[in-house]
Amino acid sequence: MKDARHPLTLWIWSITLAIGIARGNNPWIAVVVVGCAYLVVRNFRTSAPWSRSFESGLKLGIWILIIRTTFGVLVGTPIPGTTLFRLPILPLPEWMAGIRIGGAVTQERLFSTAHEGVILAAIIICFAAASSLTSPHRLLRVLPFAIYQFGLALVIATSLVPQFVTSISRIKDAQYLRGQKLSFKKILIPLLEDSLARSLDLAAAMDSRGYGSTRVRSRYRAITWNAADTVICCVSALSLLSPTLILISVATPFILIKRRVVVPT
Amino acid sequence: MITFAAVSLIYPNSTKTVLENLSLTIDEGEFVLVIGPTGSGKSSLLRLINGLVPHHTGGILAGDISVDGISTKSVKPGGLAHLIGIVGQNPINGFVTDTVEEELAFGMESLNIAPDVMRKRVEEILDLMSLAPLRNRSLATLSGGEQQRVAIGSALVMHPKVLVLDEPTSALDPIAAEEVLSILHRLVHDLGITVVVAEHRLERVIQFADRIVHIDGLGNTRVGTPAQIMSDSDIAPPIVHLARALGLEDVGLTVRDMRRMSEEIRGASYSQKIESLQISGENVIELSGVSLSFVNKTVLKDINIEIRAGEVVALMGRNGAGKSSLLKTIVGLHECSTGSVDLLGNNPLTISGTKRRETIGFIPQEPSDLLFGQSVLMECEQADRDNEIDKGATFELLNELVPGISPNTHPRDLSEGQRLALALSVVLSAKPKVLILDEPTRGLDYQAKSHLVSTLLRYARVLGRTVILATHDVELVAELATRVIFLADGDCVADGNTLDVLLSSPAFAPQVAKVMSPQPWLTVKDVISALEEN
Repeated sequence: MKDARHPLTLWIWSITLAIGIARGNNPWIAVVVVGCAYLVVRNFRTSAPWSRSFESGLKLGIWILIIRTTFGVLVGTPIPGTTLFRLPILPLPEWMAGIRIGGAVTQERLFSTAHEGVILAAIIICFAAASSLTSPHRLLRVLPFAIYQFGLALVIATSLVPQFVTSISRIKDAQYLRGQKLSFKKILIPLLEDSLARSLDLAAAMDSRGYGSTRVRSRYRAITWNAADTVICCVSALSLLSPTLILISVATPFILIKRRVVVPT
Repeated sequence: MITFAAVSLIYPNSTKTVLENLSLTIDEGEFVLVIGPTGSGKSSLLRLINGLVPHHTGGILAGDISVDGISTKSVKPGGLAHLIGIVGQNPINGFVTDTVEEELAFGMESLNIAPDVMRKRVEEILDLMSLAPLRNRSLATLSGGEQQRVAIGSALVMHPKVLVLDEPTSALDPIAAEEVLSILHRLVHDLGITVVVAEHRLERVIQFADRIVHIDGLGNTRVGTPAQIMSDSDIAPPIVHLARALGLEDVGLTVRDMRRMSEEIRGASYSQKIESLQISGENVIELSGVSLSFVNKTVLKDINIEIRAGEVVALMGRNGAGKSSLLKTIVGLHECSTGSVDLLGNNPLTISGTKRRETIGFIPQEPSDLLFGQSVLMECEQADRDNEIDKGATFELLNELVPGISPNTHPRDLSEGQRLALALSVVLSAKPKVLILDEPTRGLDYQAKSHLVSTLLRYARVLGRTVILATHDVELVAELATRVIFLADGDCVADGNTLDVLLSSPAFAPQVAKVMSPQPWLTVKDVISALEEN
């Protein structure tokens, strides 16, 4: 379970990608970037619990795309153009003039909202890619002492998320075996109690092991920044310059990692 | 090393004093055992030592606790990290990193210890705790015993003077428990570390203790040597009950002592009348050729078992041997890869609702998973409604199991034993034909355990229902089970009546059997009835 890259590298990579996507504002490039990011994640990720967060980010992105497009088509002022179909117009009171719900849906309107949705989803998926490739615990170690409280919260949150998933399935099973129809409440109450108890345990454990009691932490394994990290970051910076160069930067970790596999160290 | 000076503790919004005027000095290199009923404040006492109580939990503390001359009032728990290593009840809840090596280094990193020192100490601990082959493993993939060893290791790596452990063996099988305890014993003797342990299963730990602190739950504490405390304590391992029942002058605390004292009794010959309970009920569960595999792991291999009505079956085996998986296959949470499960003519995967409640009841490892009501009463009323029985019947059942629970208590505020009783009465109110329990005695004290035993025995004997339980607790199995199935690595390696299976393996034999070997007695009751007959 050794991460080959410095924990900040892939975050820098994904942040620059996200900025590049936002600046370029080209949905096709965004889709290609997401595809490449997926390949990188697939090749590079470990079996750690957080490595599944790419899928969660992907799902979240798709939901955002769907919801945004639906609302974009339903609500707001129409853009003139080719009418695809007409929806019934919902009558609104006088004072809400200027807002329209329903009505003609034009091709232009559909494309422009879908376009914005794709960009937004792609940005979220870029961050999901970085979080599924970097151990939050390693990331925490390179963060400065000033955000120690934040670090504490981060560790608790990241250790709880996988436990959340197992707790939910455990509680669902137990309720099913009690012959109960599943309801939100019947799962939520035991889940919250369980998670609260666990996070208190973890906070107590971290505290009793001296976390945050000295300003400087030493490192058992030095987390080194090597040439490959610099290359990835520099190439990533290209995507800030021009939207088309983003296609090069998204592929850099992929190429570098491929090389690592060929030449075993 | 540790000084409690006139310590009293009370939690906010509580009228119960946890500790009252406790004065206690623990010397360097002592092994101190803390005993008491569940909810009596054992964990609070342990957490007072490094100041987690009251710094983390709140509460009003009078008096002073100091460790190696440092008062816990003046520093936060983090400030004592170099002095005190503390291992919680569920080690996995306290893990901060991803792999064994990183977890061991975490505390030292926090204290800013130089990397070369860290590397050396990590290697030492990896050897001391026999963790070297696991060094790069992910913590989540370790077995219970391994996790416990990592937790102890990551406390030891800081070179503490005091090691505090809260129920270190409650989740472990007898062999893993023995391993952990013998490591503690070695640390005390080789390194002079002071060890404070809270534990319910005295049979596992009492022989290592130098002194015992007995908390009664009302704020009173008694401190004394094991022999003093055990001479009249109501919390005592089976071996002490045996000494009392035999009317021996001293109580023996180890199997060796007791064997020496009971040589005469053991040596006499008895006209053996081994009554093996013949249970001739109909078959309720039939497993034929059941195997179960997940992604790349086979958990159960070709299991063929028939279980009759009225049987009490104990599933035993190492941590990770497939006990829980087998239970889950029987109740219908896992679909078996090959073979079939027949539960009173039904496929357990397909039954639901009322039919499920009446056919099979399941108490999971965490009984609170079943509970979602805001109070004990609401929980019981829900069960009454579900099962269409008289209003109040479930609560009455609960009152029979454990008298004196206030109906307005929130289930979370109950003690472990009370919570198990609540879950049990909710499940039993539907009178299921088969009752399944997964590790029911984890965290239970002797009293709660004997309540559980009598409830389950009544259920099986009087109503003729089937009870199946997975457990590590050999003493419970000796008292309760009519049949033992022993799993190893997904294989059923032994299946027979309790007496045969338990006596055939020394590690899994109960204490009384070890003392009385070669006589075939498992419990104090067995010994007494055999002696009375002759």
